[in-house]
Amino acid sequence: MAIGIKKVARPRRMSMGETLYLLEIVKGLGVTMGHLLRNIVRQENIPTIEYPEVRRVMPPRFRGLHRLMKRPDGSPRCVACFCCSTACPAVCITIVAGESPDPKVEKYPVRFDIDMLRCIFCGLCVEACPCDAIRMDTGWFTPPENTREKLIYTIDMLLEK
Amino acid sequence: MPNFTINGISVDVPQGTTILEAAKTAGIEIPHYCYHPKLSVAGNCRMCLVEVEKFPKLQIACNTIVTDGMAVKTDSEKVKQAVTGVLEFLLIHHPIDCPICDQAGECGLQIYYMKYGLHKSRYAVEDKVHKKKVQDIGGQIILDAERCILCSRCIRFLQEVTGTGELEFFQRGDHSEISIFPGRPLDNRYTGNLADICPVGALTSKDFRFKCRVWLLRGARSICPGCANGCNVEAHFKEEILYRLKPRQNDEVNKTWMCDPGRLEYKKANEARLLTPVNRENGIPKAAPWEAALSSVAFRLWEMVEKHGPGSVAVIASPQFSNEELFLARKLADEVLRTPHLGFSLRTVGDGFADDFLIKADKNPNTRGAKLLGISEEKFDDIVQNVADGKIRALLVFGNGIADLSDAETGRLLANVPFVVQIATNEGAVSRAAHAILPSASFVERGGTFTNHAGRVQRFWMGFPPRGKARSAIEIITGLANRLGAGWKSGGEAQVFRAIAQSEAPFAGMSYESLGELGQTAGGKG
Amino acid sequence: MSGLFDLAVAVARIAIMLIFCLTFVVVLTWAERKGAAYMQDRRGPNRAKILGLTLGGIFHPLADAIKFLFKEDFIPDHVHRLFYQMAPMFALAPALMTIAVIPFGPPVTIAGKTIPLQIADLNVGILYVFAMSGLTVYGVILAGWASNSKYPLLGGLRSSAQMISYEVSLGLSIIGVVMVFRSVKLSQIVASQGELLWGIVPQWGVVVQPLGFILFLVALYAEANRTPFDLPEGESEIVAGFHTEYGSFKFSMFMMAEYFHLVVGSLLVATLFFGGWQFPYLASSGFVLPGGFSIGLPGAVVLLLRIGALFAKVVFFAWLFIWVRWTIPRFRYDQVMRLGWKVMLPLSLLNIFATGIALLLVA
Ligand code: SF4
Ligand code: SF4
Ligand code: FES
Repeated sequence: MAIGIKKVARPRRMSMGETLYLLEIVKGLGVTMGHLLRNIVRQENIPTIEYPEVRRVMPPRFRGLHRLMKRPDGSPRCVACFCCSTACPAVCITIVAGESPDPKVEKYPVRFDIDMLRCIFCGLCVEACPCDAIRMDTGWFTPPENTREKLIYTIDMLLEK
Repeated sequence: MPNFTINGISVDVPQGTTILEAAKTAGIEIPHYCYHPKLSVAGNCRMCLVEVEKFPKLQIACNTIVTDGMAVKTDSEKVKQAVTGVLEFLLIHHPIDCPICDQAGECGLQIYYMKYGLHKSRYAVEDKVHKKKVQDIGGQIILDAERCILCSRCIRFLQEVTGTGELEFFQRGDHSEISIFPGRPLDNRYTGNLADICPVGALTSKDFRFKCRVWLLRGARSICPGCANGCNVEAHFKEEILYRLKPRQNDEVNKTWMCDPGRLEYKKANEARLLTPVNRENGIPKAAPWEAALSSVAFRLWEMVEKHGPGSVAVIASPQFSNEELFLARKLADEVLRTPHLGFSLRTVGDGFADDFLIKADKNPNTRGAKLLGISEEKFDDIVQNVADGKIRALLVFGNGIADLSDAETGRLLANVPFVVQIATNEGAVSRAAHAILPSASFVERGGTFTNHAGRVQRFWMGFPPRGKARSAIEIITGLANRLGAGWKSGGEAQVFRAIAQSEAPFAGMSYESLGELGQTAGGKG
Repeated sequence: MSGLFDLAVAVARIAIMLIFCLTFVVVLTWAERKGAAYMQDRRGPNRAKILGLTLGGIFHPLADAIKFLFKEDFIPDHVHRLFYQMAPMFALAPALMTIAVIPFGPPVTIAGKTIPLQIADLNVGILYVFAMSGLTVYGVILAGWASNSKYPLLGGLRSSAQMISYEVSLGLSIIGVVMVFRSVKLSQIVASQGELLWGIVPQWGVVVQPLGFILFLVALYAEANRTPFDLPEGESEIVAGFHTEYGSFKFSMFMMAEYFHLVVGSLLVATLFFGGWQFPYLASSGFVLPGGFSIGLPGAVVLLLRIGALFAKVVFFAWLFIWVRWTIPRFRYDQVMRLGWKVMLPLSLLNIFATGIALLLVA
C-alpha cells in the first residue's frame, strides 16, 4: 500500500491580541463566571446525580447483581445443571448439586456461590440458564465490602435478592 | 470378499459384515441406538436406516449383510427424512429434562438431534406419557423409565453377558417401559456397564449421580488397579479429582466391560491421600521437605547397613506398583542395599471374589509383573519371620498395607522394627507406624505399565501431575538410591522400561511404542 | 499606664488582623471548592451538616480541620526528620508575618492618642514585605529536600527556580509605585493614594502604574504558586510536588500557607495599587465629589466605610485568585521561565524607565 500523504492544517498564526494573552484570559474568566452564575441561579440544571438519595434509573437491560428465582413454593428454580458455570468466562460460579427428596425436582443446588469479585457481568450465565433460574435484573452494582468473603454470594443471598 | 459401494466409495469387507460395520471401515458414520458391537443385533430402534439399491424400502444397516456389488446410500434425501422421522418418534415422550440428567453431554439423543434432527416438536407437552422416574433398581444403577428409548441393549446385556436377565420390557405401545421384576433388583457384579451402554439417560450411575457434568471431565487412558485382570479403562477427572472409571475397549482383555468394584477403585486416589513427605521425630510426625526427607531416610538406611550389615535391611515391594517401579525397587535392594530380604506382599480386598469373566481373586494389577521381574512372594513370609524375630533394623514398605494383616497386626509387626519407611499413596496402619513416609503418585498421576494375570503388559498414562507434594515412585526410588551413592541417571518411565526390556528376558524386545494402547503379552513364565 | 495602653492596642491590632486572616482563609478554602464546582457544572461540597443544615457546604472546612487534627501524624522513614518537620512552619510563618506592615485603616484618635490601624508601621515597609516573601521559598525547598524522594525534590527545585525568577520582577514592578509615591512606607503610600489626579480620578497605583500593576499581579501569582504557575505541585507530572510526603496537620499547614499567601497577596495588591483603605472621594469629613459637592459624615461612619473598602478589595482579589485558577490551565515549565526572564523582566525595567521619564517631565 502506498503511503498517502495527508496535509494537516497548521494552526493559524495567533493575532497580536491573542499573543498578548491578557485579553484571552479575560475572555476565559468570562466563560467560567458565566457557568458559575448560571449554576448558582439554576441549581436544578447541574447534571450531578446526588447518589445515595437520587439514583440513576437503570435501563431495563442493565446487567446488575444476580438473583436466583424461586418456584411458587419458595424453593430455588435452579436445578444445578451447571450450564451457567460452564458458560461463565470468569469461572466464578461454584455449584454443588444434591439429590432432592422430591422426585419431581430430583436435582437441586446444595451450594451455589457467585464470586462477585470475579464476575465480569457479561450475562452469559443468564443466557445459558435453561430454567430462567438466574437473572441479573436487580439493577444493582456490586457494593463495597470490607472483606473478600462478603462478596462471595451464597445461594441464600442470591435467592433473597 | 464382497466388494460394495457406499456413497460412491468402493470397499472390500469380509464375508458376513453388516452394512453398519462396513460403513465404519469406509469412514462413514451411520447413526444407531440399539446396535452394540458386543451384543446381538436386535434391530428395533430403526435409527440406522439406509438406502440399498434395488431394495424397495429402506433397510436397517445393523442387520443387513453386505453382498457383492451392493450399492448403499446413507446421505440421500430419503434416508435423511427417515432418520429425522425416527428421531422424532423416539423423542415424542422424552421428558427433555437434560438440565438434571447426568447423561447430558454424552447422550445419544442430544448428539443425533443436533446432527440429524433439529426438528420442531409437533407433540404437545401435556400429551406426553409419564413414567416412573428415579427408580433405584439395585446395583450401581438408577432407572428413569421416561427417558428410555426402548433399544433393549440393557436387556440383551443382562441376558447375553451376565446371563442374569433382571430387566425386561413391560406394557405395550407408548406405555412400554423397561423395569425389573417386582422385588428382584439387579443382582450381578457388572451393573455399571448398563449405564455405559444405555445410549440415553435412562440408566445412570448411582455413584456418579450429580457429582459432575461430563463435559467438564477430562480423560486419561489407564488400567484398572482393582485386580489382576487389568481391564482397560478411561479415568475421568476434573482438576485433581477423579470422578469415574469407564471401560475402554480391548477385545483381548475386557471387550467393552468392567466390573462394579473396579468402577469404585478411583476413590482411593481422592481420599485419605498421603500428600507430603513425613519424618517422625520422637514419635511425632512432621511434614518435611523432599530433600530433607530423602536424605534422612537414605542416611538411616546407610547407617543400618554399616552397623548391622545388609541383612538388617528388608524391602517389601507391592504389586500395586508398576513394572518400572518394581524393577527399580529390586535394583535398590539388590545392588544398592545388597540385602537378601526382598519380597512382595499381596493386597487383599473383601472376600477375594472371583468369577470366570473379568473379576480375579488377586486384587493387584501387577502380581505377574512382580514375579516376572524376579521378586518372589515366598520371601515375604521369610521377611515377616525375620521382623518378628527382631533381626530387621530397617524396613522399606511399598504400598498402603502389608498383605492381609489387620491394622492391629500390622502395628504389632512394625513395632519390632526401629526404622520403617513407607512409599505409598494412602493413609493406613503402615503410615501410622512408619518413621518416614514418602508419598507416591496414584495411578492417574503417573504413567507406567502393569502386567496382568495372563502376562499382558499394558500401559497406563498420566492424567494430571501428582497431587500435593507426592512424587512418582520412580523419582523417589532413584532419589534414595542416588543418595546412597548409586549414581543412577534419573529418567522417566519410558527410559526405565527400555532398561527392563534390555535386561529382563520376559520383556525382551518390548517398548512403549510396541505396547501401544492395548498392550502385548510378555514371554516366559512367572 | 500609657505603656499598658500601648501594649493592649498592639495586642488588639495583632489579634484583629490574625483573626481576620485566619477566618478568611477558612472561608476561602470553601469558596475555592464551591466556586470550582459551579464553574465546572458540579455541586461541590454539600454534605457536612450541623443541626441538619448544610448551608451550601460551609461546614466542610470545619470537617476538614477536624479530620486533619485527628489524622495520624505520620513521618515517613526515609525523610530528614528535623527539616521535614520544620518545612511546614517555614512555609506558614513568613506569610503570617507579612501582614504586620499592612495598614487596614486610617490612623484613629482615641483618648487623645493617634493609633495607626496597622500592626507595625515600618519605614522600610515594602522591603520588609520582600524580605518575608523571599523567605517563603525556604519552606518549599526544605520540604522538597527533606522528603528525600524524587517528586518532592523535583517540586522543590521547580519552585525555587520559579520563585527566584519572579522575585526579580516582583521587586522591580513595585519600584514604579515607590517612585510615584516617594515612599517605601506602606501607610504613606496608602495615604498618597487618597489624592486626586487632575482633580477627578483617584490617584490609585493602578491609574499611575497600569503596567506595573499587571506585572505585579502576574509575579504575585507566581510567588504564591497559584495557577497558572502552580508547577511545584503539578499533579500530572510530579504527583503533588513538594508536599507529596506530607500528611495530616503538616499537610494542612502547607494548605493554610497557600491560602495565607493568597490573602496577603490580595492585601498587597489592594494596598499598593487600589488605594488600600481609601474609599474614592471619601475624605475624613465625608464625601468630597469632584464637582465641589460634599456630604458630611460622622467620623465613625467614615472609618467603617474605609475599612469596608479595604475588605471589599481584598475579597475581590482573593476571588480573582480562585477565579483565575479554575479558568487558566497550568503553564509548561519552559513557558514559565521564558515569561519570567524574557517578558516580565524587560517589561518591569521598561516600566521603571518610563516612570522615571514621566516623573521628570511632570516635574
Ligand atoms: S455475568 Fe458473566 S462473569 Fe458474571 S457470573 Fe454470569 S457468566 Fe459469570
Ligand atoms: S444454568 Fe440455571 S438451572 Fe442451571 S445451574 Fe445455572 S442457574 Fe441453575
Ligand atoms: S441400530 Fe439398527 S435398528 Fe437400532
